[in-house]
Amino acid sequence: MAAHTSKTMLLSLSRLNVVGVGLPNLSSRLTYATAFSTNTAGNKTLPERGGRGTFTKRPRRDAGPPRTDKMAEDQDWTAVYPAAAPFRAGTVPLPVRMGYPVKGGVPPEKKGNLELIKIPNFLHLTPVAIRKHCEALKPFCSAWPSALDTDAKCERHFPIRVESRDYVSAGLSLRNPAARVVHLRVKVSSLNLDDHARKKMLKLVGERYCKDTDVLTITTDSCPLRQQNYDYAMYLLTVLYHESWKSEAWEAEKTVADMEEYLWDGSPSEKNILDTLSRKADGGEEERRRLLGRNEVQDYKRSVSRLKNQGDSESAMLQYKEAVKRVLKI
Amino acid sequence: MAASMPFRRELFSLTRIFNGISQSRPRVLGHCAGHKKWLTIGSPLYLSPSFHIPRVFSSTASSITVTEEPDTLFQKVTVMVKGHDRAVLDSYEYFATMAAKELGISIGKVFEPPKDMERLTLLKSVHIFKKHRVQYEMRTHYRCIELSHLTGSTARVYLEYIQRNLPESVAMQVTKTAIEKIPEHIHEPMWKDEPTEEAEKPSQ
Repeated sequence: MAAHTSKTMLLSLSRLNVVGVGLPNLSSRLTYATAFSTNTAGNKTLPERGGRGTFTKRPRRDAGPPRTDKMAEDQDWTAVYPAAAPFRAGTVPLPVRMGYPVKGGVPPEKKGNLELIKIPNFLHLTPVAIRKHCEALKPFCSAWPSALDTDAKCERHFPIRVESRDYVSAGLSLRNPAARVVHLRVKVSSLNLDDHARKKMLKLVGERYCKDTDVLTITTDSCPLRQQNYDYAMYLLTVLYHESWKSEAWEAEKTVADMEEYLWDGSPSEKNILDTLSRKADGGEEERRRLLGRNEVQDYKRSVSRLKNQGDSESAMLQYKEAVKRVLKI
Repeated sequence: MAASMPFRRELFSLTRIFNGISQSRPRVLGHCAGHKKWLTIGSPLYLSPSFHIPRVFSSTASSITVTEEPDTLFQKVTVMVKGHDRAVLDSYEYFATMAAKELGISIGKVFEPPKDMERLTLLKSVHIFKKHRVQYEMRTHYRCIELSHLTGSTARVYLEYIQRNLPESVAMQVTKTAIEKIPEHIHEPMWKDEPTEEAEKPSQ
C-alpha cells in the first residue's frame, strides 16, 4: 500500500534524525509511533525466548528496501549526513567493501559490516559540506593586516613572541597541566638598552640568552594558569629591563676577569706593543699617543681583539701575522 | 569531545551554524562593513554556558559584534594530530587543509613526522614457560599542519571548527601558538620621566 510504504519511510527518516526533510509536523507526530499501526500483513513475530512466560515481544517489522534505492544522484548530501554519525549501510549509496577477504573471495559487503561501523568516517565532511561551513564561518574571521606581510616587518613592529600550547584529547578530564607553560622570546637588540645595561642584562639572564640568534627566552611554568604565567613572564622582562639600567655601587669594582669580551685598550698587549715600538725611538707620553694613532697599530689592535674574542681560526692567525709584520716593519 | 576553554564563547553560535546549514535556510547577519585591522569579532549571543545544545529550529541569526580592542596576532599556528590509524589522519589532513584554504588562511608546511612504535614483550602463559613470549606494539602516527599569519578571531574560529570535527578516539591534537606583542612600558626606564623617584624600585 502506498500509505504503508510512505509511513515506514517517514518512520525510518525520523529515526535517522534527518532535519531537512520538510515535513516537520509529520515527523514529530510519527517519532513515537509504534509499529502496530503500520504493519498489518507480512510481519514475522520473534520466537519466544524461554523464561519470560507468555510475554510476546513486539512483532518485528520488515526492514523494507534500503533508502539508497530512492536516493537521487544530485541530492543534498549535507542533509543525509549533517553531523558526525556512524556508517549506515542503508544510507550510504556506495558499494563499499571492507574487511579481510574470504579465501579466494572478496572483502565482505557493507550490509552488517562491523568494520565499517568501527572506523571513524568523514561522510559529514565532504568538500561541499566544508565549503558550506566555511561560508558560514567566514564572517567571524578577520583579515591579517596587509602591512605586515614579511617576517622582518613583523619583527620590527612586534618584537616579542609569546608561545603556548593547547591540548585536545579524549579522556576523563579536559585539562592538561602542560598547557600552562608560556615561553616569551624577544631579541635583545630590539630593547632600548645602552652598553652597560645590555651587558648587565646578559649577566642577569645567563643561560636564557642565545648568542647566535640574539634571542632571550623566558620560560614560565610556576603558576597554575597560562594567564598567570604570561603575566609573570612580562613582569620578569620589565624587572630585568629596569634592573639592568640601574648601576649599583659595587659595579664599579668590575675587574678584567669579569669582562664579557676582551678590550685591547689598557691591556698588557697594548703596553707591550707600545713599549716595543717606543724603544726604537725615544719614549714619552705624546710619543705613545702618536704611535697609537698609526694605522699599523690599529690593525694590530683589531687582529689581537679578533683572536681573543672570536677564538683561533686560520684567517685570524693570518691576519695577526700580517699585522705584526707590518707593525714591526719586518 | 574535549575542547579547550577559550572557545566557549562562540560555541553556541557555531552549533547554530551547523543546524542552519542542514536546514538550508539563509542566515541573516548583522555584518559590519568596514573592518579595521585589529578588531575582535565575537558573538553577543552568549547565553548561559551549557554544553547541551537543544535543537533550535527557529531562524534567529547570530549577529557579529566588532569590538574596539585590538585582536591578537599569531605568526605561526602548528596543529599536530596523533592517532593510531594513518588513513583517518590522511582524511583529517584533507579536511583541515581544505578548511584553511576556504577560510583564507595561508598554509605553511603539511608534513608527516615519523611514527612512534611502543613495543611490549610479555609472557605468553599465565604461569611458567619463560621462553615463550608474545610481543605487542602500539603505533602512533603524526600529522603536522603549519599555518601562518592568523589573527586571533580567525584562529579561534578555525581551531574550534577543527576541534569539533576531530574524529573519535584515534586523533589527538597538540596546538602550538606563537603570538606577537609590543612591549608597552619597556620603551624607557620608568625613572627617566620621574627623576625624583630614582631611589625607588620601579613597580610593574
